[in-house]
Amino acid sequence: MRFMAAAMLLALCLPLTACKKEVTRQEVAAFVDKADNAARKRFAPGICELRGKDFRMKMKFQGHEPRMQPTEMEIGRKLYCANAGSFARIRQYRLERKSMDIDISTDRHTARVTADYVETMPYYEFGTQPATPDDFTHFQVVESRDESVVGIEDGDLVFLSTEADAHQSLIRKGSVDIPYD
Amino acid sequence: MRALAGPAMLLVIAGGFAIYRGISKEDAPSRDFLELEFAGANVEQSGSCYSLSTVLIANGVFGGTTRTWKAAGDDTWTLGLETVSQSYNGPVHEFQNFTFGKSGQRVRLKSVDASKGRPTEIGKNIDLLLEAPNARHSTPVERCLESGATGYAYRAQK
Repeated sequence: MRFMAAAMLLALCLPLTACKKEVTRQEVAAFVDKADNAARKRFAPGICELRGKDFRMKMKFQGHEPRMQPTEMEIGRKLYCANAGSFARIRQYRLERKSMDIDISTDRHTARVTADYVETMPYYEFGTQPATPDDFTHFQVVESRDESVVGIEDGDLVFLSTEADAHQSLIRKGSVDIPYD
Repeated sequence: MRALAGPAMLLVIAGGFAIYRGISKEDAPSRDFLELEFAGANVEQSGSCYSLSTVLIANGVFGGTTRTWKAAGDDTWTLGLETVSQSYNGPVHEFQNFTFGKSGQRVRLKSVDASKGRPTEIGKNIDLLLEAPNARHSTPVERCLESGATGYAYRAQK
C-alpha cells in the first residue's frame, strides 16, 4: 500500500518537474524554426498549437497600391487559428526568414523575437473568384517585420503576441518558380 | 489511515481533473436561454415566433465566422462574431457583438457593437436578424404553430 501511495505521489509530481520555468536563446531559436516550418506546411492545427491561450496579433498591412492607406487589425487566437485554416487552400507558398534577433527578458520568463520575413504566394485580385488555385497572374511578395513575445505556457514555449508590419508588392507569375505542394 | 491514502489520492486526481475541465470549458448560455422566443423591434417587444437559437442558425452564425459567447450579467449574454475579410488594400478585421438579455419569457437584443460599416441600431439589427428565418420559413416556437398566431414581422406558412 505504501509503495502504491508513493507511486501515485510520484505520478502527481511528475508533470510539475516537467514544467519549464526559464527560456534560453537556443530553445527560442529552435521554437521559431519549428513555427516557420509549421507555416510552410500550412497545416492550421500545427500553426495554432504554437500560439498561447491569450495570443493577440496586431498587423499593419500596406497593400501593393502605395496611394491606398494601410489596413490595421488586431485579432485574438480564435480568429487567428480560423484564418490559418484558410491558408491551407494555397498551393504555392514560400517563406524565407531573412534575419532574427532574440532578446531574453531579465527574469528569463519571456523572449522578444524580431524577425524579417519574405512570403511569396499567389495573388488573387480582390473581388474575383478563382476557378482553380492556378487562376492568377501575379505572385504577391509580402515583406514583414514581426515582433513576437515568446513565453512558457503549460511547460511549452508559445507565442504570446505578435506585431507585424507588412508590405505587399506584386511580381509576374512567370518571374518566379515556386513548386506546388 | 494508510488504507485511505490511495483512495484519497485518487480523489485528488479526479478533483483536479474536474476543476481543469470546469475552467477550460468555453462560456455559453444554457439551452433554456437559447430556446426563448426572440423579441421584435416594436415598442411592445412582441415575440417574433422564432427562438433565439433558430434565429442564429438561420443566419448561419454557426458557419464560417468565429463566434464567442461571454456572460454580460444576469441572464444576459454577448455573442461576438468576427472574421477577417479581404479588402482591396489588405486584410480587415470585421466584428459584431450582440448582447441578448432575458425579459420574461422572451429574449431581447439589448445592444449591438460592430466594426465600421455595419449597423449598430437595435431595431435595424432585429429586422436583419429576422430576415433569414422568415425567408427560410424556419420552425417557429410552439405558440406560433397554431393557425392565426401572430408575431413581429412573422409570415406564417400557408
